[in-house]
Amino acid sequence: MNLKELREIIKLMNDNELSEVELEHEGTKIKLKKLSSSVPEATVTIPTTQYQSVLPQQPVQGQTEVSSKPANRKEITSPMVGTFYRAPSPDSPPYVEVGEIVEVGQVVCIVEAMKLMNEIKSEIKGKIVEIPVENAHPVEYGQTLFVLEPV
Amino acid sequence: MFSKILIANRGEIALRIIRACRELDIQTVAVYSEADRNSLHVRFADEAVCIGPAPSSESYLNIPAIIAAAEITDVEAIHPGYGFLAENAHFAEICASCNITFIGPASETIRSMGDKVVAKETMRKMGVPLTPGSDGVVPTKEEALKIAQQIKYPVIIKAASGGGGKGMRVCHNDVSLISSFMMAKNEAEANFGNPDVYIEKYIEDPRHVEFQIVADHYGNVIHLGERDCSIQRRHQKLLEESPSPVLTEQLRKKMGEAAVKAAKAANYVSMGTIEFLVDSSGEFYFMEMNTRIQVEHPVTEMVTGIDLVKEQIRIAAGEKLSFKQDDVKLQGAAIECRINAEDPDNNFMPSPGKIEELHLPGGYGVRIDTHIYNGYEICPFYDSMVAKLIVHGRDRAEAIRIMGRALEEFYISPIKTTIGLHSRILSNQLFLDGKVSTHFLEKMLKPDTIS
Repeated sequence: MNLKELREIIKLMNDNELSEVELEHEGTKIKLKKLSSSVPEATVTIPTTQYQSVLPQQPVQGQTEVSSKPANRKEITSPMVGTFYRAPSPDSPPYVEVGEIVEVGQVVCIVEAMKLMNEIKSEIKGKIVEIPVENAHPVEYGQTLFVLEPV
Repeated sequence: MFSKILIANRGEIALRIIRACRELDIQTVAVYSEADRNSLHVRFADEAVCIGPAPSSESYLNIPAIIAAAEITDVEAIHPGYGFLAENAHFAEICASCNITFIGPASETIRSMGDKVVAKETMRKMGVPLTPGSDGVVPTKEEALKIAQQIKYPVIIKAASGGGGKGMRVCHNDVSLISSFMMAKNEAEANFGNPDVYIEKYIEDPRHVEFQIVADHYGNVIHLGERDCSIQRRHQKLLEESPSPVLTEQLRKKMGEAAVKAAKAANYVSMGTIEFLVDSSGEFYFMEMNTRIQVEHPVTEMVTGIDLVKEQIRIAAGEKLSFKQDDVKLQGAAIECRINAEDPDNNFMPSPGKIEELHLPGGYGVRIDTHIYNGYEICPFYDSMVAKLIVHGRDRAEAIRIMGRALEEFYISPIKTTIGLHSRILSNQLFLDGKVSTHFLEKMLKPDTIS
């Protein structure tokens, strides 16, 4: 990715009034984000550079997002705060893998909090196309755990 | 000193705590409900965790979610702010069992001071003056009648597990006492899960004067002077000031000593407040103890020059008090106005919505503690306070002038707020003369009253 290509992406963003673009190309991942118009006025200084979420920041409501997800995709989100585990124990195989079809009520993962293991069940039937969270990583309420395509 | 603290709260107090942590070089973790995603406290913190949907019960009161957030962010302490879980003994207990420091007193202290009957009994034993009333819980209406006749009407029925001005009924005679008694018990059960009630003499035209207490883990307990919070509506404070216009140096000393005695009786550690009622003859009576940092703490900060939140965090980290009683002097006068998103011309109906235009006051002697900003969406799920406007002057007259000037500069649109109401209070002669009691505001708001 060179400067000319970067400038073109920025022009594309401005022309189409996009606030956020994420691209992955031949091993390089780039994310461009414009400051939105709903940023607070000068009376308060927001240290946006200092704010790092321990967890992936959810897109702010109302901002357009260039998403590679087609509109018919569904998500399984975390109903609680805790640590995400793909398998019931370190030696077991994961509950589900990408490409698998899950049924309604099927256990797809565990979210652990305060030493309690909570089995998370799918509320939809579909094929898993993406698992955006890594094993043993923390998750917050509402965070996407699995992306599914209905079958 | 802690390296990371989780703030189990929202709004202006969450910001306040984050600011104190920043100055102490402590990393901060904010928790937020889905409704607070764009809140300032989320943006100001170093890390943020979404803990649930909008309703408080599923987010800011959701103990498992908050503890889980504390675990995954690996914090050493939790600051509960005020309201929410700040005086929840169970929460303090869970923090302790998870090896997380709860920034406040011990859970047993919260429990004993949270039960108003137990609190009074503790104070009685230490010789702290109490409002005349029942010796504990009043079990039957026959017993209630007996006590009322003894202490003389008017009397007030209060819930043992109540607080914040909720669950109270005033009775002027036997008939109203009998009908109110059972209703009060039912209300107490519904609101606090405990039907126990007690009875006190209802003091006519009292002033609400509270003393700020601070205590460390080494037995050092001092008071930081008083705040007069007599201006209330439905037992909710609207305006607070320090010093109190009615306290003489002598009375301040006497009440301060009683407050310290009360705190020691409760084995108190951390920031706390002892609330007294002062009657027209200068007699004072213990009302209750609040085991948290309070909304109106900035008033004390302005007159003493002490940062109460930083001190509270230091104490929790095991440090000794950074000053002695003799170091504490009240300088000048401070006033705080609580600005609520309510329409005072429409029975104080809440006024949520998006802030299109905002101009905050400033200048010498003006302080604003707020979480609002231009474009912020005030959501309807939580309390309506959107800002605290605090001023400090050389004396009460100057503080009043500064506050009047600052209120005129304060502009929020299109949200309705109590800014105009505060301006009216500030130009009221009774207020200017320092002659207000807790009934002042209700009287002022009646349409036939000339302000």
